[in-house]
Amino acid sequence: MADLRERTSPLTLDEAFHLMRRMTLQPTYARAMSIVGKLPSEAVAALLDAPETPFASPEWATKTPNITDFNEAYRLFVELQNWWIGRVLTATSPRERLVMLWHSTFTSDYLNVYVSHWMVAQHQMLRTNAYDYSEISRRIVGDAAMLRYLNGDQSIKGRANENFAREWFELFSLGIGNYTESDVLEAARAFTGWRITGLVGSYNRQLADLGEKTILGQTGTWEWKDVIDITLRQPACARFIARKLLRTYVEHEPSTEAIEAVASLLRGSEYKIRPVLQTLLSSEYFFTPNLRGALIKSPLELVVGLASALNATSVSRQYVSQVMTRLTQEPFYPPTVEGWKGHHAWITSSTFPQRQRFGESFVDGRQIGSSSKLTDDAGGALIPNVIAFFKQFPDSNDADKIVSNVAQALLAVPITKEQHDVLLEIMLAGAQKYEWDVDSAAAVQRARFLIQAIVRMPEFQLM
Amino acid sequence: MNKSTPKDQVNATVDRRSFLRTATRGGLAVATLPALIDSFSVQALAGGDPRLQQLLEDQDRILVLVQMAGGNDGLNTVIPHSDPLYYERRPTIAIAKNKTLRLTDTLGWHPAMAGFRSMYDEGKLAIVQGVTYPNPDRSHFRGTDIWLTATDADVFGSTGWVGRYLNTLAPSYPTELPAHPLAVQIGNATSLALLGSAGPMGISFRDPDEFYRLVNGGGGSGDVPSSEQSDTPAGREIAFMRNIARSADVYANVVKQANDKSGASSVQFPASDIGAKLKVVSQLIAGGLRSRIYLISWANNNFDTHASQTSTDDPTLGLHANLLRELSEAVTAFMQEMKNRGQADRVAGMTFSEFGRRVHENGSVGTDHGTAAPLFVFGAQVEGGRIHGANPDLVNLDPIGDLLMQHDYRDVYASVLLQWFGVQTGTAQQLLLRDFSQGAPALFKKATTTVDDASTRQAFVRIGPNPATDFVVVQVQVDANADAWLALSDLRGVQHRIAPVESWTGVCRFDLLGLPAGTYVLTLHAGRSITHTTIQIAR
Repeated sequence: MADLRERTSPLTLDEAFHLMRRMTLQPTYARAMSIVGKLPSEAVAALLDAPETPFASPEWATKTPNITDFNEAYRLFVELQNWWIGRVLTATSPRERLVMLWHSTFTSDYLNVYVSHWMVAQHQMLRTNAYDYSEISRRIVGDAAMLRYLNGDQSIKGRANENFAREWFELFSLGIGNYTESDVLEAARAFTGWRITGLVGSYNRQLADLGEKTILGQTGTWEWKDVIDITLRQPACARFIARKLLRTYVEHEPSTEAIEAVASLLRGSEYKIRPVLQTLLSSEYFFTPNLRGALIKSPLELVVGLASALNATSVSRQYVSQVMTRLTQEPFYPPTVEGWKGHHAWITSSTFPQRQRFGESFVDGRQIGSSSKLTDDAGGALIPNVIAFFKQFPDSNDADKIVSNVAQALLAVPITKEQHDVLLEIMLAGAQKYEWDVDSAAAVQRARFLIQAIVRMPEFQLM
Repeated sequence: MNKSTPKDQVNATVDRRSFLRTATRGGLAVATLPALIDSFSVQALAGGDPRLQQLLEDQDRILVLVQMAGGNDGLNTVIPHSDPLYYERRPTIAIAKNKTLRLTDTLGWHPAMAGFRSMYDEGKLAIVQGVTYPNPDRSHFRGTDIWLTATDADVFGSTGWVGRYLNTLAPSYPTELPAHPLAVQIGNATSLALLGSAGPMGISFRDPDEFYRLVNGGGGSGDVPSSEQSDTPAGREIAFMRNIARSADVYANVVKQANDKSGASSVQFPASDIGAKLKVVSQLIAGGLRSRIYLISWANNNFDTHASQTSTDDPTLGLHANLLRELSEAVTAFMQEMKNRGQADRVAGMTFSEFGRRVHENGSVGTDHGTAAPLFVFGAQVEGGRIHGANPDLVNLDPIGDLLMQHDYRDVYASVLLQWFGVQTGTAQQLLLRDFSQGAPALFKKATTTVDDASTRQAFVRIGPNPATDFVVVQVQVDANADAWLALSDLRGVQHRIAPVESWTGVCRFDLLGLPAGTYVLTLHAGRSITHTTIQIAR
C-alpha cells in the first residue's frame, strides 16, 4: 500500500526527525526543530531549494593527468576521499544523500580507474545532474572514469567488450530479467567508438559500429545515444529507478504498488528526481509510523550523523575515511560494480561490534577501539562537547526529560519504558534523579555514559 | 587427534565455564548443543573402539570454500592445448602448449599453478569439468546468488545451501548457539551461502585478535535491554542485529582461544590477501575450533578479466596469472600446514566461481562473461588425480558462443554433502531442493556413517525420519535368535534411550520428545557384537 496523497498536518518533532534522517546526512536536533510545525510539502520544498555552497574540484583534478607512479596515484586516492568527506561533513543539502545513491549505482572505483582526476570528474557529473536520471544516463556512457572502469575505452568495433553494455542493462537501468543476452551483445556494439582524451571521454563515429542492431526489440543503425533512449522508454526502467529511490528514502522491501506508483511519477517527470521526491517525501506513505527506523544506516550515515549530532564535524577527514573503510564503505571504492549492497550487508559479526566501538569512542574523543585521541582536521584534539549537546534540549536539568530528549534525537524508533529506566540508571551511575545537574562537573561523564549506551543499541543503527 | 590428558579435561571444563560466563554476561541465555564434538568427547565416547572412533571423527569433517569472485576463465586455467580451436579463438591470450604444466596428454595447467599440479599428481586434487547449470546467467550477481543458494536459474532463493545444511546440525540456531561457530567467513562480509532461515548461520571477522578486541572493548556503561520484538520493519531489523551481536559476543572468545592455542604456522604462507585468509583458517583449525565450514573469497570481483587478462607480450603473465598463482600457492601452503598439524584427513576444500568466460577473446586482451568452467576439490581424503568430465568441447557451443554444461554445480554440492559430510540422500535432496545424488561425481573418500562388524549379518537397514523430530523408526537385520537391543546416546556419551529389537521384524521405535537437537549415536547390540551409526535430531 502506498498512499502518495499529500500529508497535510504540520510536522511533529518525531516527523521532522524522520524527514531529516531520510533526506539529509545531518539530522540534528536544531535542523529538525527548524521545520517543526511546517507542512511536510513546505519543509521538503525548502530543503530541496535551499541554497548550496559551491563545491570546487581540487586544483590538481582540473589539470591534465600526469601520474608518474603508484605513489603519486595513491596520494591522489587519499586526496580524493578527503575532498569528498570534507563536503559531506559540512554540507547539509539533500543532494549529498542522492549523490551517494548515484555513486553506488553508476559506480566506479579509484583503483581500477587509477586516475583520480577522472573520479573527481565523475563525481561532479553525478553531483551536477543528481536530480536528473536521464541526463546522468546520457553522460555516464562517455564518462572517463566509467570508460576505464568498464572497459568502454578498450571496446573495439568488430570485437566489442560487453562489460559496460551488460551492466548498463543489469545495474544502471532495467535490472535482471528485462533484457536478453542478445541485447547485451548488440548494445555492446552500439557502445563502441569511445576513447579517453585528457579528462574526458570522446566519441569518434569512425571507430563506432554503425551497423544495424536489434536492441530491446527495436531494429536500426543504433548508436550509443539510441540505446539510452530505447532503454529509458522501457516501463521496467522507471520501475528499477523507483525501487532504488524507495530503498534509499522509505523502506528496503517496497511493495509492487509503491514501486509502480513512484515509477509512474518518474515517467511523468521524465526522470527528473526533484518532483518525485517532493511528492514522495511529503506523502502519507512516507510518514507511516511503521516505517520509522526501517532502514539500516550506511557507514556514511552513521559517522556523519553522529559527528553532526555532537557538533563535531571538524573531525579529521582521514579518520572518517578509515572508519568508513573498516565498516566496508571505503569512499570511492565499492566492492563490485553493483555498488554497495547496503542494508543487511552492512551488519555482520565483524562490522556490528565495530559500529558500536566507533560510536562509544567518538563520544569520548577517542579513535575506534584504541586510546588514541580523536583529532580535528587541523590535527588538534577533538572532544565532542556532550554538555553543549545536552543543553540544546529544553529542561536539560530534568534527568527523565533529558533521557527522553536525547533518545528521541539519536534513535529513529521510540524507546520503551524499560529502556528509558535502564538508560536513566546508566546516566545517573549511582546518583539519585534529583542530584542530576547538567552544569556540575560530574555531568560530563554521565552524559557520555548515556550517549554511549544509546550508540551501542542496535536501534542506533536504524534510521 | 591429539591425546587427551586429565589436564586437558580440566582446561575444557574451565573453558566451558568461562564461555558460559561470558555468554551470560549480557543476560543472554545460551544453551550449548552437541552438534559439534571435540576430540576429548570422541575418545571418551569411543571407549577404545576404533570403529566408533572413526565414525565419530568423521562427524567432524571440515570444508573450506574458496570463492574465485568475478568469473574465472576456465579455459586459461585448465588449458586444452591439443585443441586448435583454443588457439584460433584466442589469438592473443592463449597459452602455448610448451608453456603449460603437464596435466594429461591433451590438457595442461596454467604455468602459475605448479602447486595445484603437484597436489593433483599426489592424488590430492580432483577436477570437475564443465560445471554450470541449465540456462546459465551471465550476471555476476545473479550467477553468484544462484551458486550460493543452490537454486535453479529462475528461482530467487533467500537461504544459502551451506546455511540450510548447518540448520540441520543446529535447528534452534540462533536461539541456542553451539559451543563453537558452525561456519566462519574470513573477511567483513557475510556470504549469502551461510544464510539459514533464521539469519546467518556463521560469523565473519578479518582477524581473531581484532575480533576479540572489538567485541570486548566496550565502554564502561551497561547494556540496554532490547525492546519486545515487534513485527514492524524496525522490529525485524533490531532482532536481526541482536542475533548477530550475540553470536559475535559468544564466539569472539572461542575464536581467540583457538587462535592463541595454534601457535606459529609451520609453513610460510604467501603474502597475498587470500594467503593471509587461509593462514587464519589454518590457525583456527589447528587451534581446535570446531567449525564445519570456512569460507574465503577475493575481496572484489578480481577474476572479472574483461581487459588486460594477460600481458600483451607474454600471455603466461598478467592479471589472471597472478590470481591463479595466488590461489595455487595459498592452497598449497594451507594443505601443507594442515598435514603438518595432523589435520589433513579432516579438511577438504572446494573452489567455485559464478561462471567461466567466453571461448573467444574480446578486443581488449580479455574475455567476457561465459558459462561452464572447471572446479577444483582438494584434500588428503579427496579421490584425487582424477578429472571428471571430458575436455571442453569448443565446437558445440551455445548460441552466444559459450561452453555447454557437463556437470550441474549441485552435483558437486551433492558429492560434498553425501560423501564428505555423510548426509543421508533424502536430506541432501531437501538441502539442494532436488535429487542430485545420481550425478554426484565420486570426489571424496566417503565419511563413515555407520560401522559394523563384518563377521555378523547384522546391520542397520533403514532409519527414518533422519533428521528426526518426535520419533525415529529403526529397522535392523539381526539373527532371528539373537538377543538384540538398541541404545541412543548423545555425543557426550550419555545414554538417553534403550529399547529391545523385535528380532523377527527387526523394527524398533524411539520416542525422542524432550531430547535436544543435535547428532546422536545409535548403537545396536546383538549378542556380543556392537554396531554404531549416527542420527540427527532436529528441533
